[in-house]
Order: sequence, then structure tokens, then C-alpha cells
Amino acid sequence: MRRSWVRLLPVVALAMPGSVQATVYLTVDQAQSAMFPRQRLVAAFRQLQPGEIAAIKKASGVAPQSKQLQAWRAQDGGWFIVDRVIGKHEFITYAVALTRDGAVRSVEILDYRETYGGEIRNANWRQQFVGKRFGSQLQLDKDIKNISGATLSSRHVTDGVRRLLATWQVVLRNG
Amino acid sequence: MAEPLRRCRPLLGTFVEVAADRDNAIEAAFAAIGQVHRLMSAHEPDSDVSRINRFGHVREVKVHEWTARAIERAFSWSKRSKGAFDIVAAGKAAIEHGLIPRHADQPLPEAAHWTWLEAQGACVRLLKPGCIDLGGIAKGFAVDRAVEAMRRAGATRGLVNAGGDLFGFGEEPWTVAVVDPLTRRPAVEFRLRNEAVATSAIIGGSSAHLLGGGRLLSVTVRAATACSADALTKIVWAAPANLRELLDQAGASAFGIRADGQIEDISAEALAA
Repeated sequence: MRRSWVRLLPVVALAMPGSVQATVYLTVDQAQSAMFPRQRLVAAFRQLQPGEIAAIKKASGVAPQSKQLQAWRAQDGGWFIVDRVIGKHEFITYAVALTRDGAVRSVEILDYRETYGGEIRNANWRQQFVGKRFGSQLQLDKDIKNISGATLSSRHVTDGVRRLLATWQVVLRNG
Repeated sequence: MAEPLRRCRPLLGTFVEVAADRDNAIEAAFAAIGQVHRLMSAHEPDSDVSRINRFGHVREVKVHEWTARAIERAFSWSKRSKGAFDIVAAGKAAIEHGLIPRHADQPLPEAAHWTWLEAQGACVRLLKPGCIDLGGIAKGFAVDRAVEAMRRAGATRGLVNAGGDLFGFGEEPWTVAVVDPLTRRPAVEFRLRNEAVATSAIIGGSSAHLLGGGRLLSVTVRAATACSADALTKIVWAAPANLRELLDQAGASAFGIRADGQIEDISAEALAA
């Protein structure tokens, strides 16, 4: 005997315009202490030069999405790098811990922002909602934490990690 | 109750999220999932799965206890679903569609049926060149192992979500939303306690040959274990004649989300349509 366990969300929630589901897992500080416990990290930010960007792209097959490299040096010679990737519908900030030899020690997602629906980029579609008041029924930033749905590919992050390994090779190794 | 700690890492080709009331339980969960990733990824050339695919047709391949268990679970679902769930057929299709790589020394798969694969304890072999793909069960399997690890580490409340295959445990239920695969907006919400849920979606492909004849975009199954929920989503899509019986035997239930956003209970009536 199966009981009914499906509860439909109110229709208004289904009709909401493109909104953002954001989850923050770790701040940069928290990630630093989790990934390099009891180590002092020294910021070593830098601007990537055009030649370095080209070399990173050549080595990893992925072009840096930002010229700014947010890297910190650990006491043991390892590196802590914060980076961001943009997927089809998502923005992901993540941190990578590298050993002094440039091997991946750990990867943590810091925050994950996903837009609901492709309509967010469609101005006309959004226009119809301008000036309307949804009041309390519209849970635009409702905190939905546990989501089941289509499996999201983590390929953007995997590509990003590969790009950061190349960045270490080109920029940080002798830095 | 205080907000549980929540972490997320890229594993199993997706984002794996772990929430628990203890830090060490989160680490234990990720360690278990990392282990499943290393053993069962068809992308890693030296994983158990890749070793079976590369030379399982030539000699017996010794695999980790977990891989043997996952294969045993897959066999069990193949038998019960009369072949609707088939890791050998899935592997052949995955190679042919370029979804998983063929390693340099890996033969082209010929075997297209699960009975070409044999497993005796930790020894696995293929009776002719073939390719297995545990993608239909590995995420669920990993979630179950992670939950065991968290409980062993002393967690009293926890949740593991591997790309939509999830299990939540503890006194207090977890609120879970199933999103419309097209819009990623939440469509269905329910509460989960000591139970698993898994969703399988078709995006950018045709589901015309599957359950619902193209009407459905995703199916969601709720079951006692994530491994069962994961395998059952694939079986629901294939809609074998005994689907209703299979769901009932497993104490599982299922629904689908249609292309028009409507929810469809997957019952005998819906199947007849």
C-alpha cells in the first residue's frame, strides 16, 4: 500500500521569475582553516600577464575566467587558491589546496548560486512581472537546501581545477 | 535544532553535498564517496570498473568488496526487472554514445546483456569483450556507504546528496525539494526521514521510447536505500511489465514531472495510459 507523499508547491511558486538559489558552504577564512589547519597563510595575489594566460590555456585547455589570481602561500609551501567558474545556470566559488609539489590536496565548494530557469536572461519574459507584487506568497529567496532533480555536472569545476594546476606550473611554482 | 554543518565537493561527476551534526562525520562521508569514485569511475583507467572493461574478457579481475557488492546489487535488479536494468547493456550504449571513454587497451564492447558478466565473490570476468557502466547505481551506492560511515562516526542526524540521489537520517525529518529539470524550479516538496530519494531526468534527449512516451522529463523514486532508489529510477523509465510489483516489493513509490510541469503519479493507471 502506497501512501501519497507528494505535496505540490503553490502555483505561485512555480510561476516565479528567474530567481537565485544560493548556498554558502564555507567562507574563505573557514576554508583556509579546514584545508590548512594550524597553518598561517600569506596572501600572494597577482595579476596574470597575457603570456601567462596563454600558457595556462595551452597547458590545461581552459582559459582563465579572471586575470586576478587569488592565491595564498602556506607555511609548508602549499598553496590555497580561490577561484570561480560560471556554468550554464550556475556560479560556483571553490577553493583548491595544493601541496608544495603542485598536487591537489583537496577541493571544497565555497558557494553555489544557481538561477532557476533560463528566463532570467530574457528581458521580455521578466517584464511581465515588473510592478507586480507577489507579497509573502512569492518565496523568491526561499532557502531550499536539499534538492533532487537532474544531476548537475561538476565538469566546470573539474576543468577549473585542471586550469589551476596549470596556473601553479606556469606562475606559482617558482614564485 | 541548530543548523547542521554543510559541505560540498565535486565527486562522482557531480556535486556531493553532506550535512551532519558532526565535523568528523562529514569527513567520513566524503572519504566513503571518494572511495566509491576511485573504484567505480569508468573515467579513471585503473578503477575496478575500468580494469573489468579493459581485460575482464581475458582474465578474472579481482575487485574491492564494495565493487563486488555494487555488481551484486545490479544483478539483483537485472533479474527482478527482467533485464530492464542492465549494467552491461548500459556500458555498451555509453561507449557507443561517447558518454564514457574507451581506454587505449580496452576492446570494443560486444556483450549487450548482463548475463555475459560473471562475479564470484571479488572475482569478476566477462565471457566476451564488454563494458560495464555502474553509473545507474554507483551514486546511490555511494550515498548509502556515506550514510553508514556517518553513523559509525557518531552522527545522529545527517544528509548526503549526490547530484539528486539523497538519503536523510535522524529524528527530525529533512525537507527535500524536487525541481523541474527544465526550469530548475522546485516543483514538489516532501519530508524525508531515514529514507532515500533519487531523481533521473532526460534533458536534451528524447524520452519518446521511455515511460510516458515523451510526456515525462524526470522520474523520482523514494525507497529505503539510495542504491534501490537510484536503480529504480532507471527501471521506472524502462517501464517493465512488472514495474508496479517491483516498486511495491521494494516499498518504493514514484512520480514523474511532465514537460508541461505537471506531476504524474506513477501508478498502474498511469502506466496503462
